[in-house]
Amino acid sequence: MNRTRPLALVAGTTGALALVLASATSASAADTATVSILHAVPDTPVDVYANGEELLSDFQPGTLTDPLTLPAGEYDLAVFPAGVDPATSQPAIKADDVAVPAGANATVVAHLGESGTPVLTPYVNDLSAVGAGDARLTVRHTAAAPAVDVRAGGTVVVPGLTNPEEASLTVPAGTVSADVTLAGTSTVAIGPADLTLAEGTATVVYAWGSGDAGYELAVQTFTGLHSSPSGVPGGSAGLATDDAGLPLPVVALTALGLGAAAFGARRVVSSRA
Amino acid sequence: MRTPAAVLALGLTLAIGTPTAWALTRPEPTAGVPVVAALAAPARAPITAPVPAATPPPGDRLPEATARPAAPTVAPVVVPPVRLSLPARGIEAPIDPVGVEPEGEMTLPEDVDRVGWYSYGPVPGAAEGAAVVAGHVDDAEQGLGALAPLREAEPGDEVVVEAADGSTTRWTVTGRETIDKPGVPLGELFARTGAPRLVLITCGGPFDADLRSYRDNVVVVAEPRP
Repeated sequence: MNRTRPLALVAGTTGALALVLASATSASAADTATVSILHAVPDTPVDVYANGEELLSDFQPGTLTDPLTLPAGEYDLAVFPAGVDPATSQPAIKADDVAVPAGANATVVAHLGESGTPVLTPYVNDLSAVGAGDARLTVRHTAAAPAVDVRAGGTVVVPGLTNPEEASLTVPAGTVSADVTLAGTSTVAIGPADLTLAEGTATVVYAWGSGDAGYELAVQTFTGLHSSPSGVPGGSAGLATDDAGLPLPVVALTALGLGAAAFGARRVVSSRA
Repeated sequence: MRTPAAVLALGLTLAIGTPTAWALTRPEPTAGVPVVAALAAPARAPITAPVPAATPPPGDRLPEATARPAAPTVAPVVVPPVRLSLPARGIEAPIDPVGVEPEGEMTLPEDVDRVGWYSYGPVPGAAEGAAVVAGHVDDAEQGLGALAPLREAEPGDEVVVEAADGSTTRWTVTGRETIDKPGVPLGELFARTGAPRLVLITCGGPFDADLRSYRDNVVVVAEPRP
């Protein structure tokens, strides 16, 4: 299991905050990045602005954008309550000079911090291949809640996850019943929910919400991370082998022919003598 | 005396003709289009690669963003294939959905009369990608497997796959190849994108009695029958 702590952002009015998305491992030659945005602040539809331009309007809690291909560069991000005039209002969340490096694949999540303050957290998505038969499960704590355990089929698979940490593990593909409990207890905070972890995909599960608004799961899926089987076995007896030489009936018939030819030849020779 | 001469001629005919006929009637190791080419051949309906998201807009314009609910959803149910037949070669076998072994090789049904469909990949009849069906060519106790005649498959042979809901997909063999196992193009055979193909795999070539394993894979590629 890998565990990483993304760069958390304080809800910002204090000036420029560098939001650095770690460059993805595969250095894409293209000078673009792929960014998805998840709205995980309960109850508040928002408008999202990038460099002063409206990127999303009336963005609803619990919704996720399709992956956006953005030119690599720096972005000033601002999140306003839906419908307000950005020229005359203070943003609910703000992050300036957000570096979006070429080749990165990231999800920017607007969510509540542990204490309930809205924040923006960028997560880098691990799109490396998984082995044949496997799936990647990543869980991200983006809820106004203390540490939690994530369970699959009743077994703790990620213990003690805190906001805004994430943890990844590779699991056999299949459907699991997942729930989230308060860390170290069996008090279920979210779920259970059936999660389909399809082979060759990465499933990112976000625990989000607050005690007042309720807790929920959001799911983001990335496909195409599969590997081929390492081979195809296919036989163990040698009955269909190609180099067993001549089959016995062929040998017998050939020998019979040779014998007959020898016999005939001898008779032909002796009859001439 | 003509009888000895006739016996001589008949004997020579048998002695030469028998192995010659045997050699001539053996299946060639390869028939039709090489499998990689057969897999890469354009589909009847040209497949255009899906363009991920949008190309970056000119200048500073930001792309249109579409948001969707992110609540957990139930995966769509796939109707698995249940029966494979290749009538021209007498192949007829039930299909089991299979995955991979702990070591990473494709799982095959223990019963050599059954074949396995690689259930992590496309289903036969999917819009794109290669649906792979494979089986043991033989077993020491069970004898020859259902796919033993696969090495005689010829381009043009019809393959029929029946699904669990009773629907069928029909395919035409375009190529057969016997490939040394380390050289088998697994990435292409198990491709999940590209033109829809049916890939049939078993073992063949020389048998290594010490390793109890065949050197080669026999691979047959078929394309949808129009």
